[in-house]
Amino acid sequence: MFKKNIYRKIILYALIFLFAFPLLLLLVWAFSGRWPWPNLIAESFSLEGWRYFIDPANGAVESLATSVIIGVAVTFITLLISIPAGKAMGLYDFPGKGAVKILVLAPLIVPPLAVTMGIHINFMLLGLADKFIGVILVHLIPTLPYSIRIMTHTFEGLGDKFEAQARVLGAGPLQRFIHITLPLISPGLFSAGILVFIISFSQYLLTFLIGGGRIITFTMLLFPLVNSGDRMLAAVYSLVFIAAALIFTLLMERVLVNPAEKRDHFYI
Amino acid sequence: MFKFRFNKWYPYLLLSPALIVLFLLFLGGVILGLSQSLGYFPVLGLEEPTFKYYLEVWSSTEFLNSLVFSLFISFTSAILTTIIGVFFAYQLLKIKNKNRIINFLYKLPIIVPHIIASLMVFLILTQSGILSRFAYHLGLIEEIAEFPRLVFDKNGFGIIAAYLWKQIPFVVLMVYTVLKQINGSFEAAAKNLGASNSQVFREIYLPLTAPSIGSAFIIIFAFSLGSFEIPYLLGPTYPQTLSVLAYKKYISLDLTQRPYTMVIATSLTMITVILIMIYRKILSLISRYHL
Repeated sequence: MFKKNIYRKIILYALIFLFAFPLLLLLVWAFSGRWPWPNLIAESFSLEGWRYFIDPANGAVESLATSVIIGVAVTFITLLISIPAGKAMGLYDFPGKGAVKILVLAPLIVPPLAVTMGIHINFMLLGLADKFIGVILVHLIPTLPYSIRIMTHTFEGLGDKFEAQARVLGAGPLQRFIHITLPLISPGLFSAGILVFIISFSQYLLTFLIGGGRIITFTMLLFPLVNSGDRMLAAVYSLVFIAAALIFTLLMERVLVNPAEKRDHFYI
Repeated sequence: MFKFRFNKWYPYLLLSPALIVLFLLFLGGVILGLSQSLGYFPVLGLEEPTFKYYLEVWSSTEFLNSLVFSLFISFTSAILTTIIGVFFAYQLLKIKNKNRIINFLYKLPIIVPHIIASLMVFLILTQSGILSRFAYHLGLIEEIAEFPRLVFDKNGFGIIAAYLWKQIPFVVLMVYTVLKQINGSFEAAAKNLGASNSQVFREIYLPLTAPSIGSAFIIIFAFSLGSFEIPYLLGPTYPQTLSVLAYKKYISLDLTQRPYTMVIATSLTMITVILIMIYRKILSLISRYHL
């Protein structure tokens, strides 16, 4: 039995290694100078990529800010829509619930590429293309299914007893929401928020199509770097991306979620 | 039991913002794409619906090669991901002190986007990548050109590798969450009656997790079929996946090509919808006949 456990651990750590090794490689490349084949270690190390990144002329920091602004806006709108939707799906039975469920989950399966290409021309006609607002709107398509699902699970787990209690005690709708519902759904809300932000932050194609190259988010700069095979610069930009996403996640977890309520939220 | 009395319109009211967004943006996009693919495109002066574009695109070798390539990649990566993912989820169930592993697995694929996954595969698997360098030092190859083409290759090896990296953690978590909820006394009872480990896995855990394994498979299949970044960044110039083909045609500024592009995009949607219908059919058959 003891031996068996060791063998399991080895397998699992091999898996972890397989998933962590590429990240290490990214880290080394980001600080490498010359690193020709077949050397296993770079001949020289440099901060050239980081200097390029910081140089305002290349607009990297600015695009990072654009990504964060869009991400925060998308997160806010998506959560605002998902709270009532999740409540309806989680607490009530009503005719047509099955159809709504399919509609909510469909964007997970139907390629966003197809949806965006279809809607693009109307965005142009409505003057939404090439603008922030258009990009924010189109990011709602891939994010809504996740957050509505998470909020549905949250309300299912919560039930409506607490709200009923408050109602019996004479609390109005707004009071009930702020003092009862909001604190109780906050763990689910933050899991959804993190996921939504990161999905928006990672979007390339939808931003490219609807933003028309005018809205420069961080992925707009990262994609051509990877495509051209500029390993050092692409590694620098990738690390910045991962760091930014991690910092956002940790901030949300540490600052906003009460550690006592912190549980695993594997809502996928 | 005390229940809220509620107006029968109340749930719809709560859902209305979500429904408006989903109808306008999502369904709107699907329907507009469909009508454009049928040649209804008033902006271009096209107003007669026709199947002409479908017939032309569906009979072209370029489209058919892309279709085969796309299906091959999605199917291979989904099968491999599912098998490896289920295996690891089961191993994870059996060891203690795994919170850190789970935390790592949970965050990683969410935070690292497809573009960066592509870069990592590129750094490892290209002919000048780290694997090729190891092969040189181990004496397996002497020249850079001797290393096999694993990225930008016609078999889509690099693309599949990137999908595996990105999707295995997803399957592990999805299946692990279900495995964790299975009552441990089933296993204890089976073991007591003399069942071996593999029997416990095949007779207890596998059947109970089958539906979630099925949905995981469908989701990752559909996802890789419609995903654009990885095949664009790691794929060969020919054949291209359907998503890359649609993208390339879309950004060529020739608007008369637009209906052809929309046929490709809509075909992607159709394939995924058909897939879901088959899956639901199989699920309902299984539950009806207790297969």
